[in-house]
Amino acid sequence: MTAPLMSNRIQSLTLAAAVLTMARIAAAHAQSIDYQGLEQLFGEPVTTSVTGKPQRVADAPANIEIITQDDIRRSGATNIPDVLAFVTGMDVRGYAPGAADVGIRGYNQSANSRLMVLINGRQVYMVDYGRILWASLPVEMDEIRQIEVIKGPNSALYGFNAVGGVINIITYDPTKEKINAATVRGGTQDYASGSVVGTAAIGDTAGIRLSAGGFQARNFAPGPLDSVDLRTRETPFTGNFNADGRWHVTPSIDAFLEGSYGTMRLSQPSPEGALFTEQTHQWSLRAGVSAQTGLGSFSLSAYQNTTYLRGDAATQTPPFLFLEHEQQQVAVVEANDLVKIGPYHTLRIALEYRDNSDATDLVHGRLADIDYAAALMWDWQITPALTATNAVRIDHAEVSYSGVPTVASGLTIAAFNAVRITEPSLNSGVVWRATGADTFRLSLARGVRLPTLVEQGIQSDFGTTGPVAVYGKPNLLPAITWNAEIDYDRQLPTIASVLRTALFAQRTDNVIATPFGGPITFAPAGYAITTAANVGYSTAGGMELAIKGHSPSGWRWNVSYALAATTDHTSLNTGPVIVSTELYTRSVPEHVVIVGVGYSHDQWEADLMARWQSSFVDTRSVIGTPPLRFIVVNNYVTVNARIAYRLTDRVTLALVAQQLNSASLVTTAGVPTERRLIASATARF
Amino acid sequence: MARGSGELIRRASKSLAAAVLILTVSRAAWAASFAAKDLQVLGRAIAFMQPPPAPDAVIAIAYLPGNADSKRDADAIAALIGSGLPAGHATLRPRVVDIAGLGAGGFSVVIAAAGANGPQLNAAAKAAKALCVTTETDAVRDGFCAMAITSEPRVEIIVNHAAAAAAGIDFAAAFRMMIREM
Repeated sequence: MTAPLMSNRIQSLTLAAAVLTMARIAAAHAQSIDYQGLEQLFGEPVTTSVTGKPQRVADAPANIEIITQDDIRRSGATNIPDVLAFVTGMDVRGYAPGAADVGIRGYNQSANSRLMVLINGRQVYMVDYGRILWASLPVEMDEIRQIEVIKGPNSALYGFNAVGGVINIITYDPTKEKINAATVRGGTQDYASGSVVGTAAIGDTAGIRLSAGGFQARNFAPGPLDSVDLRTRETPFTGNFNADGRWHVTPSIDAFLEGSYGTMRLSQPSPEGALFTEQTHQWSLRAGVSAQTGLGSFSLSAYQNTTYLRGDAATQTPPFLFLEHEQQQVAVVEANDLVKIGPYHTLRIALEYRDNSDATDLVHGRLADIDYAAALMWDWQITPALTATNAVRIDHAEVSYSGVPTVASGLTIAAFNAVRITEPSLNSGVVWRATGADTFRLSLARGVRLPTLVEQGIQSDFGTTGPVAVYGKPNLLPAITWNAEIDYDRQLPTIASVLRTALFAQRTDNVIATPFGGPITFAPAGYAITTAANVGYSTAGGMELAIKGHSPSGWRWNVSYALAATTDHTSLNTGPVIVSTELYTRSVPEHVVIVGVGYSHDQWEADLMARWQSSFVDTRSVIGTPPLRFIVVNNYVTVNARIAYRLTDRVTLALVAQQLNSASLVTTAGVPTERRLIASATARF
Repeated sequence: MARGSGELIRRASKSLAAAVLILTVSRAAWAASFAAKDLQVLGRAIAFMQPPPAPDAVIAIAYLPGNADSKRDADAIAALIGSGLPAGHATLRPRVVDIAGLGAGGFSVVIAAAGANGPQLNAAAKAAKALCVTTETDAVRDGFCAMAITSEPRVEIIVNHAAAAAAGIDFAAAFRMMIREM
């Protein structure tokens, strides 16, 4: 079936289902999640990201951390990766303002594809490498209610690729929370940014929130760059616009419509470690309806993300200058029903259709992964203190290719279109509230990472992008990650704190080496060929210890330690010379310590955060011999500080120092990270 | 004179200490079964009732007739509520009532003061289609009252599914999924 035909069919099905749904609603209950009301009731943030049902963090059958708007504001961060850098168990490699790779518990590399990121449930990854372009996310810091970070696989809810973890960014509900704010920032490195968020009520039953924002800056201090590099990397920018409308159609039916547009130009590494400067234009449109029926809370939504991307291989000079043009698209229709049966059982049934496609010279045509999924979650309250949750999901993916493969690649249309992958995902957890203060959590998960479109289909003949031919492999096996975990949380009322601990073990089979880091063979003509491949397995283990608290007198504090030790058992890099970027063992710091202290008094708010991490190895692709260089990033400390003064009830001034302790630090294989000073003014009205 | 003054001071001190002790014990004995935070949680929980109570609905505080402790507890709860208990878009007006007087109805929520839980209160709540609330988990487990609330060390809400259904009480789906039902 062709993509346009499928797309038309989806639209028809969506409309029909919506009409049917609205026609059969009889009950009169509100059904959307009232985050504000539930948070005030239980005195802690609530989430639906772990199982699909609303839960308190302590009750969720997975390790989840919720970063609140207060946390975001006090961090002084201007973008989401900078917030995540101070979350226990996270690894953030910053390449430029807003440009970063984020990993959870050990696995992180350029264009990381093991992380699932969503905005209000809409998946926002790039389909080429399954990576996240953080700066392109159409969400302003002032409109974020909370960022939910789930550590470990959660494929049984989100499907392929949620193997390292899930980050769900939740914005305020325009029907319940009137957020009106304007922020301007200016700082060193010619940094300038601004954002506006406005909320309007439409009658008594609807609301809309509009937001816009962007930044431009001079990038981190340039190294020895060529003219292309200098032109693009020195002036990164983003500009995003988002509209979020929600409507209580009746007391029993809610509907929503979201749309966004954004553009950005940023430089960050591709999987082989080459610095790419990418310019994108991206759109998204999402619509949905949810209702309380006699059979539970029913939701139906559909969305499409479209990204036009133009990339320059910034660190490679002619004749290997590569101009990349892509049109990436994600089209999703999802439906689910969440119902509580009697006092003890909650079920969630979900169906999903997904079409990920990339039309690009990289694949000499259009390559798509079409995924059909069905999922079931069962939450059983065995006793008031003991709850068991089991979730299973079956994904069936089919590859669809239209184009003309290059002769040298040896790939054929038939080879692409024959690919069928069917895999189950699993998430099981038991939560035992031993006492009012003690909670134990035991979880087991099977996560599935689908090969990305580039891993399946890239055809870069010798001389096209460099002195090596690079090819994908259509019939790659999905990587399977098993994760077992024991958590223990304890309330410490005497010091107004909460202790959270975690112990985990993980194994990933069928590790997928990207085409740039796969096995090397040689063509008869003598040039080297690298190909995507399944290259073995990898294991990881670690622990987390964290204490966080606050006092009525205005003090707050947090201390955490995270250990994530990874061992590769792959066929790559077995000799004395490291030839592949697939190097999980050393690619992430094993030890991370985070310390924070803050104080609020009257109009003043001050916070100091420090993060120490042990050394790791990063890769960088350069012209020369060897073409792949490994950069040891020594252990380092980063100290950030923020001080804010509430000038009036509506206006707050703040000064933020990032990397206060050092003028320049080597934090990646790219250019060093410089100290930044940023002043801001925020008006809320 | 000096010895006499010293003795007087010692006696006065002992009397004062005894008075403080009595007051302390008395205060502890008559502390309301609902703390202010419990009532705050109750108000927020009521906001998730489906349908929500009328904006000017009554919250009855039921006590056991002839039981001075129960009456005193009811009065203490009413004093904590003051002029009204905020509950979403409603502000519930408190009314202290003995259990026998509940038959007249006219209330949407009834709080069980100390000693008031039992079949009589349960029957009255059912008849009035009202939500019965207590801090005694055992009373909810035994089906005498529909909802138990505790706020320390963390907020816990326990609902007897059958008792709530018998009184025609329903809650928002999200709320039901976040509480403990039995």
